[in-house]
Amino acid sequence: MSNEQQIRRIASREVQKIAKELHGVSSVVIATVDGFDIASIGLDGEDPGRIAAMASSVSAIGSVISQEESLGRSRSVTIATDTGFAYLSCAYLPDQTLILNVIADQDAVLGQVAYRCAESVRRLEAVA
Amino acid sequence: MKEYKILFSGTPGAGKTTAIGAVSEIPPVVTDVPNTDPGYAKAYTTVGLDYGQLTLDTGDCLRLFGTPGQARFDFLWRILGRNALGLIILLDNSRPNPLADLEIYINGFGEALRSMPCVIGVGRHDQGNTALDDYGLWLMERNMILPVLPVDVRRRADVVLLIDVLLAELEFHIRKGECSHVE
Repeated sequence: MSNEQQIRRIASREVQKIAKELHGVSSVVIATVDGFDIASIGLDGEDPGRIAAMASSVSAIGSVISQEESLGRSRSVTIATDTGFAYLSCAYLPDQTLILNVIADQDAVLGQVAYRCAESVRRLEAVA
Repeated sequence: MKEYKILFSGTPGAGKTTAIGAVSEIPPVVTDVPNTDPGYAKAYTTVGLDYGQLTLDTGDCLRLFGTPGQARFDFLWRILGRNALGLIILLDNSRPNPLADLEIYINGFGEALRSMPCVIGVGRHDQGNTALDDYGLWLMERNMILPVLPVDVRRRADVVLLIDVLLAELEFHIRKGECSHVE
């Protein structure tokens, strides 16, 4: 199995597990840094390609802020809204960066989502 | 001192980031990431925005924003287009069908173009099979008259010329009372 196939397999497994384990999650998308989804689960019928593109933009702007303020690499961005939140975390693999996006409603607990996403990021980053 | 917002959009690889970098007085803000799309032969691509600044002889400041080119980022075209005084569309004439490329942006900014001046900059104009006049004819068939200029975005003078033409267009719109963004 090639490295790319292995990454996609792990990504696919992680989006399924996050959606299954966490309450209030409406979609989980893992995207390339330039905005293509490589694994997704949309529980409310959202377009994963759209979420991937938006996550790429938000993550890039987060990275610029990190660089301008010399804060190191951007690890995550949270967009808290009236009825839920979007949580984006970056997975820095040796050859590429991936963005894990979780869209959730008010039933979800931000800390729990962040903790679970960090676990998935570690698994993705562990791919040699 | 007044501040004006100008938007650069257009085909990926046409040089929006380069154009803003060519004229900006500050180190431009860029959100380029490695490109994984085989449809565009480029190492990096903009996924957020580009930003630069240029001060005019009058002391007025131009805030230059660049959009990602790919249509999947069209949500940013609308966001970045808010309150923009003018739009510069950059195209790459060496691509297989640059007029189809132009259509993407004319449609994408369709509503805004009713009140916002626009200039078309055509890069690599000596390559490909589309003449500069073809762009004008294509626009006229859609009842649009927009300036179309050849441009090498690496040359500061070329980018400044695009901006000058856009500002002239803007002045014309203001006189006609068509520009809805000037306060």
